[in-house]
Amino acid sequence: MRDRLSFYILRESPIHRMNPLTKLTLVFSLILLAFLGPVEWLAILLFTTVILPLSFLAHVGREFLSATARLLLPVIGFLFVMQSIFLPGGGTALVQVWVLDITLENVNIAFVNATRILTMISSFLLLLLTTHPSALMSDLARRGVPGPISYTVTSTLQILPQMQVKAATIMDAQRARGLETQGNLMKRIRALLPLVAPLVFGSLVDVEERAIAIEARAFNSPRQKTSLVEIDDRPIDRRIRWGLILVVIFLLGSRLWLK
Amino acid sequence: MAQVTINNLTYTYPLTEEPALREISIEIQAGEFLAVIGANGAGKTTLCYTLSGFIPHFFRGELQGKILIDGLDTANSKLYEIVEKVGLAFQNPFNQISGSKFTVYEEIAFGLENLGLPRDEIRSRVEWILALTGIEDLAERSPYALSGGQQQKVALASILVMKPGVLVLDEPTSQLDPIGTREVFQVIRSLAHSGQTIILAEHKMEWIAEFADRVLVLDKGEIVRLGTPQQVLSDINLLSSGIGLSRYTRVAHRVNQQKLWPKGQRYPISLQEATEAFGRLLSQEGGSKK
Ligand SMILES: Nc1ncnc2c1ncn2[C@@H]1O[C@H](COP(=O)(O)OP(=O)(O)O)[C@@H](O)[C@H]1O
Ligand SMILES: [Mg+2]
Repeated sequence: MRDRLSFYILRESPIHRMNPLTKLTLVFSLILLAFLGPVEWLAILLFTTVILPLSFLAHVGREFLSATARLLLPVIGFLFVMQSIFLPGGGTALVQVWVLDITLENVNIAFVNATRILTMISSFLLLLLTTHPSALMSDLARRGVPGPISYTVTSTLQILPQMQVKAATIMDAQRARGLETQGNLMKRIRALLPLVAPLVFGSLVDVEERAIAIEARAFNSPRQKTSLVEIDDRPIDRRIRWGLILVVIFLLGSRLWLK
Repeated sequence: MAQVTINNLTYTYPLTEEPALREISIEIQAGEFLAVIGANGAGKTTLCYTLSGFIPHFFRGELQGKILIDGLDTANSKLYEIVEKVGLAFQNPFNQISGSKFTVYEEIAFGLENLGLPRDEIRSRVEWILALTGIEDLAERSPYALSGGQQQKVALASILVMKPGVLVLDEPTSQLDPIGTREVFQVIRSLAHSGQTIILAEHKMEWIAEFADRVLVLDKGEIVRLGTPQQVLSDINLLSSGIGLSRYTRVAHRVNQQKLWPKGQRYPISLQEATEAFGRLLSQEGGSKK
């Protein structure tokens, strides 16, 4: 795990062969549809009938499910419960918790919101699992996206795995200094506090030094960049991108007309 | 004309009172090997940043004086123009990683992609530098999963591969053990022999004695000495500038304090010189006893 700075898993699959921009278009189409689509249950439909099958088509289904279960479900579950309880507005009460009513309507809204976030993050996860980070950056740069933007997009997508690596390093260091990082919950929470400052502050300092380092490597040179890894952009990629754009326009448009 | 000209340079970091560099003037010829020494905080890193354009383009602050690199005035040029002429390897290798690359091979290729070299040329240059720096076995490793010394070599290779006209190295062996240090200095030596202009901030006097054409001593941001290694590194007065001289020099100084050192003879700065000097001393002593 320490060796992995990104989620990317090198496998042979149609999704891996897909151009990075095509996958990025797919991700943004899925997000737009999940949040703004004509019907609310579209998000969960997209997750189960598009994202999940695609992860298996990409031969990363096992890793996709495990990352979703470990990283996503706790957050989404938490959001769901909090929204169910605390959203204002009345309606059909299901159960009462302390002074708060949990209403059918709120559970419904909470569920829709949770599935939307699930769709959003899991579609990024699928992109990360199947796309070499530097292929994404090079492809964006090659299409004339300004260097700083393509770099920001790429490195933002990698923040999570990098933080994971760094957190593990800091944890090791704290443990070596005798801090308790195992044991019961209170102990572990206390152990996390000294972790937060170096993680956040360290990341900020890193940003500055990293900026110098990539400048030193001619990153902001106005020359037309080239790329070491060959990035395919087949005609089918272009057709898929146009198809996705049309689907998005159609479904978002249908929502306007239906109103 | 000199390849690098620094003319009356004074620089103060933002939000600080005291200048970090004061009235620095020096000309560096093409192919020259200049070593910069000085205690911690003397201004070595600051000088490296100034030479490579990060001062004033990245660190703002107040800059007076002029720096010309191949006739290019750094203060009035774009950073990317300077970067193509001057390669800087930083003191801390951990943050020299681009953060977007998966393997050491790709990491080293990053600069060449940005310079827009064709793929074939990128590959042949990366393979050349991997061999030159002796890190072929790291090529497929993640740049994040390396030891400090390995990262330092990768960082050096990533700069060398861009073939800058002027190479600025800020303590490039700080994370390395003696064996790694020797390996890196062998690379630096072969570059120096090939006519590469090198400016090296370094603590390890024995290596400087062996390689440098000239040595510049900084103390509190000022040049206090500038001369050949033989002139500068044998000067015991440098101890007051917080510079640790080589053990050969220190031993000779001890001997001198015991009034056993020949009058007017310069202290040795390398194993070679020490062997000769002490050999002469011992043979004289043997001769006088006879
Ligand atoms: N970013 C900075 N901002 C303000 N002062 C700095 C900064 N970096 C270095 N300095 C100061 O400038 C002086 C020279 O530092 P530096 O060039 O790093 O010395 P050296 O590399 O010889 O150890 C020191 O007094 C240091 O505190
Ligand atoms: Mg320094």
